[in-house]
Amino acid sequence: MIGLQHWLMLSGMVFTLGLCGVMMRRNIILVMMSIEIMLNAANLALVAFNKHLVAAPGAAVPPDGQVLVFFTIAVAAAEVSVALVIAMLLFRRLDTVNVDDVANLRW
Amino acid sequence: MFWLLAAAMVGFTLLTISSRSPVYSACFMILSFAATAGLFVLLDAYLIAAVEVLVYAGAIMVLFLFVIMLMNLRAAEHEGLRLNPLMVLAAGTFLALMSRAIRDLGPAVQQEPNGLTGSPGLLADTLFSRYVVPFEAVSMLLLAAILGTVVLARRKEDA
Repeated sequence: MIGLQHWLMLSGMVFTLGLCGVMMRRNIILVMMSIEIMLNAANLALVAFNKHLVAAPGAAVPPDGQVLVFFTIAVAAAEVSVALVIAMLLFRRLDTVNVDDVANLRW
Repeated sequence: MFWLLAAAMVGFTLLTISSRSPVYSACFMILSFAATAGLFVLLDAYLIAAVEVLVYAGAIMVLFLFVIMLMNLRAAEHEGLRLNPLMVLAAGTFLALMSRAIRDLGPAVQQEPNGLTGSPGLLADTLFSRYVVPFEAVSMLLLAAILGTVVLARRKEDA
């Protein structure tokens, strides 16, 4: 029997892998991909919560979690397009994709 | 089926963050998104599964691959995971705390899945009635992202 906790555990594991990617990779493309992995893990948790939601008496279960996933995907698409352009400009101007080389704004 | 897809998702994600070549990472990430779409089907979220394949595995990853190809990195710049004990400790602590919290949910959560099916009709009814204002806000956000992308990517004529 697969319960809600199995889904949440899977989501948490994938989220942690994305966190590891953000911390341990220095290529800006890979850092952005890891952020996508974390968003995707959150999407999985949202859909799993929606599947285990208890409806109000006499009402159907609302698909709120799945609608929220739509918004997450749209925001992720917008974020990726802008972030990739920034990465392209970084590469064009400074000829690097290593985030450690772009530490000017770091205290 | 759950265990197979879950193992595929975790395994491909692991390969994504540990591959030395960004192109391999992107390809493994597409496979990871395919496994996620399968998991959405197991949760009866059919429309979300289709959108996951179309938007994530299709559009977003093609965008990533385009940029990787455009940059045309030298193989010498490829590098794998940079393991740092502090980072491993942080990630391990995060995972331990989260699994502890999930385990302590216990009987507080409903274990039986409800009869919800994410059919396109049901989702459209909800999206265009209760969530119509956020929907319009997201359309404005996408427009702003498009404009920002164009402005950033435009080469300066006089430079």
